[in-house]
Amino acid sequence: MAANTTHADDTRDTTRRSTDGLWTRIRTNPQPALRWGVVAAVLVVLELGALTGGILTLVDALVMGVTGLIDVIVGLVSPALAGRVVDVQLALSTFIEGVRSTAQSLPTLLSRDVIPNQGYNDPSTVRSFLGLSYNAWTGPFLGLSPAAAWAIRMALTLAYSLFTFYWLYRGWLTFRTHYRRAGWTPRDDMVNRLRNHSWGKFGIVVLVLFLTMSLFGTTLAPSTVQQNITASYGNEVQYVSDDTGAVETIPVGEANFNSKSKGNPAQNVGVMTYDDYGRFHPFGTLPNGRDLFTYMMGGAETTLMVTGIAIGMAGFIAALLALVSSYYGGTVDLSVLTLADGIVSIPQLLLLIMVSVVFQDHWLKSVFNGGLLLALVFGLTTWPVLWRSLRGPALQVAEEEWVDAAKSFGQQPTVTMRKHMLPYVLGYLLIYASMTVGGIVIAMASLSFLGNGLGITPPTPAWGRAISQGQPYVSSASWHIALIPGLIIVVLVTGANALGDGIRDAIDPESEGGSEEEAAATGGGA
Amino acid sequence: MSQQSIQSTADADQHSQPLVEVTDLKKHYGDGGRFSGPPVKAVDGVNFEIQEGETLGLVGESGSGKTTLGRTLIQLETATEGTVSFDGRDITKLTGSDLKQWRKNAQIVFQDPDSSLNDRMTIGEIVREPLDAHDWNSPAERRDRVKELLSSVGLQADHYYRYPHQFSGGQRQRIGIARALALEPEFMVLDEPVSALDASVQAKILNLLEDLQDEFGLTYLFIAHDLSVVRHICDRVAVMYLGKIMEIGETEELYADAKNPYTRSLLSAIPRPDPTIDRNRITLPGAPPSPRNPPAGCQFSTRCPAKIRPEAYADIDDDTWSRIEQFREVVRERTRDQMGVRDRVKRRLGTFSKYDDIEEAADDLFADVDLPAGITDTVDTAIEAVKDGRPTEAHDALTREFGGVCDTERPDMHQVSDAGRLSYCHRHDSEYDSVADTLADRSHE
Repeated sequence: MAANTTHADDTRDTTRRSTDGLWTRIRTNPQPALRWGVVAAVLVVLELGALTGGILTLVDALVMGVTGLIDVIVGLVSPALAGRVVDVQLALSTFIEGVRSTAQSLPTLLSRDVIPNQGYNDPSTVRSFLGLSYNAWTGPFLGLSPAAAWAIRMALTLAYSLFTFYWLYRGWLTFRTHYRRAGWTPRDDMVNRLRNHSWGKFGIVVLVLFLTMSLFGTTLAPSTVQQNITASYGNEVQYVSDDTGAVETIPVGEANFNSKSKGNPAQNVGVMTYDDYGRFHPFGTLPNGRDLFTYMMGGAETTLMVTGIAIGMAGFIAALLALVSSYYGGTVDLSVLTLADGIVSIPQLLLLIMVSVVFQDHWLKSVFNGGLLLALVFGLTTWPVLWRSLRGPALQVAEEEWVDAAKSFGQQPTVTMRKHMLPYVLGYLLIYASMTVGGIVIAMASLSFLGNGLGITPPTPAWGRAISQGQPYVSSASWHIALIPGLIIVVLVTGANALGDGIRDAIDPESEGGSEEEAAATGGGA
Repeated sequence: MSQQSIQSTADADQHSQPLVEVTDLKKHYGDGGRFSGPPVKAVDGVNFEIQEGETLGLVGESGSGKTTLGRTLIQLETATEGTVSFDGRDITKLTGSDLKQWRKNAQIVFQDPDSSLNDRMTIGEIVREPLDAHDWNSPAERRDRVKELLSSVGLQADHYYRYPHQFSGGQRQRIGIARALALEPEFMVLDEPVSALDASVQAKILNLLEDLQDEFGLTYLFIAHDLSVVRHICDRVAVMYLGKIMEIGETEELYADAKNPYTRSLLSAIPRPDPTIDRNRITLPGAPPSPRNPPAGCQFSTRCPAKIRPEAYADIDDDTWSRIEQFREVVRERTRDQMGVRDRVKRRLGTFSKYDDIEEAADDLFADVDLPAGITDTVDTAIEAVKDGRPTEAHDALTREFGGVCDTERPDMHQVSDAGRLSYCHRHDSEYDSVADTLADRSHE
């Protein structure tokens, strides 16, 4: 086998395997890179403002997560010092916020300003298009109806983000076929297997859609969180009054008040309907008249922040401790085991309730409307589960002779762990992390469902709270309130599990079909 | 391995110290806590030296401690006791950066080429890693050095960007050798480097190792269980059994005329192509004892075909005697069992029955032979003692009656040839018959 593969592509070798850097390799054969680069540049320009904004949101979350962890650790030693860290944290966050608002003013093709969907329908306004005259709306894109304008914008945004993701993958393929020195790597096989794994691909699509929802939520929704939910009395909408027939202005809050979904057909704004103020509600409204679709997009951002920080932190701690405990073994392993067992033995829900109460008036509770505190608790209680799953594979790798070989020529333990053990553990981390994410999403939703100071502080959107608000109306005309958020959570959690399955089968084709781990991993929700 | 290196060995003997000098080296596992049982004595007091440029073979059955010894020599395991001097410096005491610096001098080639290379790294990265770890010269020079190394082990420079998956076992072993050579070591431990390979590939790798030794002036410790491979490649051979070196000396001399009973039985097991040759194959009874509980006397005493018998039983025929020895080993194994509280209470009450199967064992051994009266009494007493739950008493009684110097005292290393060959056996004492005579006597009866 080896002899064949060794000689098969020898000719290709000599032509492109030089010792120069990537840049030189691109210069000698610029065409594929150019082709990819032009499209990528167009994609970036299309969404420059939103992309920078999205990246900055992620940076913000990262900064918050890291400084938050430092806060907690420093706070154990000296509360005064922790106060300093908070100052730094807030300064950084304000700075990022500032940059983000500047970024939002960058030209962005797919935005609410370019394709607006809000306005009023004055019957006297008539436009003509291609010789056809029609009754046009004032405000929305091309005078279309708000529903059509919104649908165009949403479809374009989704297409854009799915295509961008695909184009990133294409970029890697271009690198792999034209510029990578190695003709083949073990990772290629994994990617190829994942590419043929439809269940795993479903997971990827769900994840991309979720990321789009949380990063481009403002563009996707018919309204914005700020306008419709958090500052509804600070914003106004124009509408054509039924009574007078004239265009009138009303605060959003008041419009919401008159657009409630309360279960009886007389007082309900259902799925894909307009309210009395010419506003289109794709998912209907909440019992307090707010737009459910906007609410869900806002909730997606909160969910992404919290689960992202939590799973990132848990995964990092778990991988680090798994490497250390399996490399050194003995007492180190035993102490990590004891610590992990100790943490696992605390009921997560009780801990969350306790932390929510204790930190009621603490500044930590105010970061991300309580999201950071939740993320910290989830992160610090989830790592033992991940660590336990990683420890087995890590111990197995630590037994390999190449680890001994590294020791025999005097390699640093940290380098040995990173180069010789981590690549083997990382795949398992991805599997278990994507399966655990479902548990965190559900746990978070349950907290918001319970309410009473738990979970995300109102009025910031949280999926669980939407379900809780819709609970009394499940069997009535306003069934959409609880059902849609519930379905979205189910699809997201299933998608995360599907992705985990896909990665597992990609890494280890022999394991295909096993299902015990998923059950165990998803059962972890509070 | 070559004439030349034997010559240089002889020269070195006269005026310089050996490259590696091992003194009373011990490696025990599980010797830590109050609750752990007796330690596993993987290496139990080993002395030898390796001259510069020479190849020392280390042979023995699986579990004899050869691999542990090799790993301890290059500090992959920490020695429990004893010293390993390398160029006159005791390396068992090295730590931190001293140890890291020293590691450049001694490298290892592993047995299993599937497990010794990290599958997620390219060949170039694998061979380069030792250089990176020691910050050897500039990155560009490192890359050139790797390509040079690859060609010196018979691979091509453009294999640099391939992954281990794309190579066969023999090629992977070559990569392992290139990695071991990267830091220009003086000493290499070859831990069964060819035992996982096909016969045709084995020869190629062995030739490569010989060529590299000539080219770079390497010193090898060659661990193997294949005696013919060892004869082919080694200048001197050490034979290990249960953590102890039984015999050590020049290869040819040792193969032609082994002095130690264990070496003789090992060599008698080499298959020979000519079936007409008259050979006395010595078959050893039973299995090696557990290294947790090695015999108190000579490690080989439980299976030795030339074991010294007490005067009183000199006339007993060999078959009977061998059965008695096997019975004694059965009883000795019983002494290892730790008795629980419940068993002790039972023993006190006289209802202990866990060891009643000893009678069956005795029946199996003695049913078809007539034991002389004196012996039957001793055996019966021992059986009763074991059944009562006191195997240690039984063992002591048997040793008192049938034991000899082999059971009670550790032998010395005796010089057994002019070339300085050493052998670990009581029979080299002038008061006993020689091994050769005894074995000849016993096999002709």
